[in-house]
Amino acid sequence: MKAVTAPTRQRADNAPARLLPIVTTLMAMIISIQPAPIPGYAAVAPAFTLMAVYHWTIYRPKLLPPLSVFLIGVTQDLLTGTSPGINALVMLLARAIVLRLRRHFVNRSFPFVWTGFTMLSGGAMLFLWAIYSLLDRAFIDIRGTIFRAVLTISLFPAASFLLGRTQRSLMSTG
Amino acid sequence: MNRLSPLRRTNLQRVTFPLLVLLSVIMIILGKADQVMLESLRTAVADAAAPVLEILSRPLSAFADLATRARRLVSVYQDNDRLAEENERLMGWQQAALKLAFENSQLRELLKLTPEPTVSYLTARVVANSGGAYVRSVMVYAGSENGVARGQAAITGDGLVGRVSEVGSRAARVLLVTDLNSRVPVVVEGSQQRALLAGDNSERPYLRYLDTGTAIRIGDRIVTSGQGGVFPPGLPVGVVASLEGGTPRVEPYVELSRVGYIRIVDYGLADALPKPVPLVPRGSRRGERSGDGQGQQSRR
Repeated sequence: MKAVTAPTRQRADNAPARLLPIVTTLMAMIISIQPAPIPGYAAVAPAFTLMAVYHWTIYRPKLLPPLSVFLIGVTQDLLTGTSPGINALVMLLARAIVLRLRRHFVNRSFPFVWTGFTMLSGGAMLFLWAIYSLLDRAFIDIRGTIFRAVLTISLFPAASFLLGRTQRSLMSTG
Repeated sequence: MNRLSPLRRTNLQRVTFPLLVLLSVIMIILGKADQVMLESLRTAVADAAAPVLEILSRPLSAFADLATRARRLVSVYQDNDRLAEENERLMGWQQAALKLAFENSQLRELLKLTPEPTVSYLTARVVANSGGAYVRSVMVYAGSENGVARGQAAITGDGLVGRVSEVGSRAARVLLVTDLNSRVPVVVEGSQQRALLAGDNSERPYLRYLDTGTAIRIGDRIVTSGQGGVFPPGLPVGVVASLEGGTPRVEPYVELSRVGYIRIVDYGLADALPKPVPLVPRGSRRGERSGDGQGQQSRR
């Protein structure tokens, strides 16, 4: 799989294209809360939103500002009935970390980008597990978390491919 | 879109990020402390999003239906044979049930038992799940406009799903029996041993407050006891599936994670007083409002 090349200089995209990162992240959020007729799915539903945040923070960080990440995260929390702010916090932190390490990921091969996502989502899932355990004052069974992380990581190539395709077809590559 | 110079933009982002992180942390703490505010915020967002989610969940469920149909087509002959056989057997049961129902109604007549409150059903579509290992709840596309009220039981044809925990005008949240906060008064069928079915976010909730020395076996049926007044007695919940470490765990009859439609049931238990029954003889049923009234009058 070919990695999406980042623009050497940010060329002006038209307005709909500029909204693409926010729209796709929002869509990823909606998909991740959809009920699926698969046994045990709800507990391990992959974190599609995190995939979108990771992708756009690497390739178009300016078009997915912290405020949009925050709002999408809070909406997800409110719709899923979890404590509001948790997903927002995790995604904001993920965005900040990726942004800092961004130069290592742009123009790199896909396996490298995937490894980065593996570490990020692993960390994010552990962080989520720790917060919930703290809030519920109980050790929550970690197996669900591990399974969710594995599922999220293994579905990342597909999500990345789709996001990359949409990006290439709708945005200027610079 | 505002046109800011790159420098000012970066500066602005430098401030917004810590601010938003702080805001998230405050929200987490506030959400834990102020449940009332959180609930009204949540129902407002759910009401706004439910119609959108409902539309978006249609293609997925249509696809799932298609897959199920295709799978069924493969085994249509075997299924037919099996169903014919099952039908034969069930006809026998139906005869038995009709006989029992008749007998039951006659015995009730003899005992002058108060009729059970009328039950009203409402079927609602599941439009969002909790998407994580930490909260077990689903959002259904039906709210107070449709007559859904907090505390009503949520069931499917197989058994108990949970109870309505939050209600907006168009959407409601159902807390599943597997959630950490779910407690359902149950009874072990057969031994009539009472217990509390407590969720812990795992697939199988466990039984609490069982008397020590209770003989409980794998395969024992668990039904609601009706204590506490939220659920009517006798709703099937699940079967005891394991006894690891002395804690009986119950496998729910309903496959909670793949429920597409939920029936919200109003057993009329919320407005607790039963309807007046004129035929009740004096003093035979205490707590019956009209009966008591008559009793007092006649005593005077």
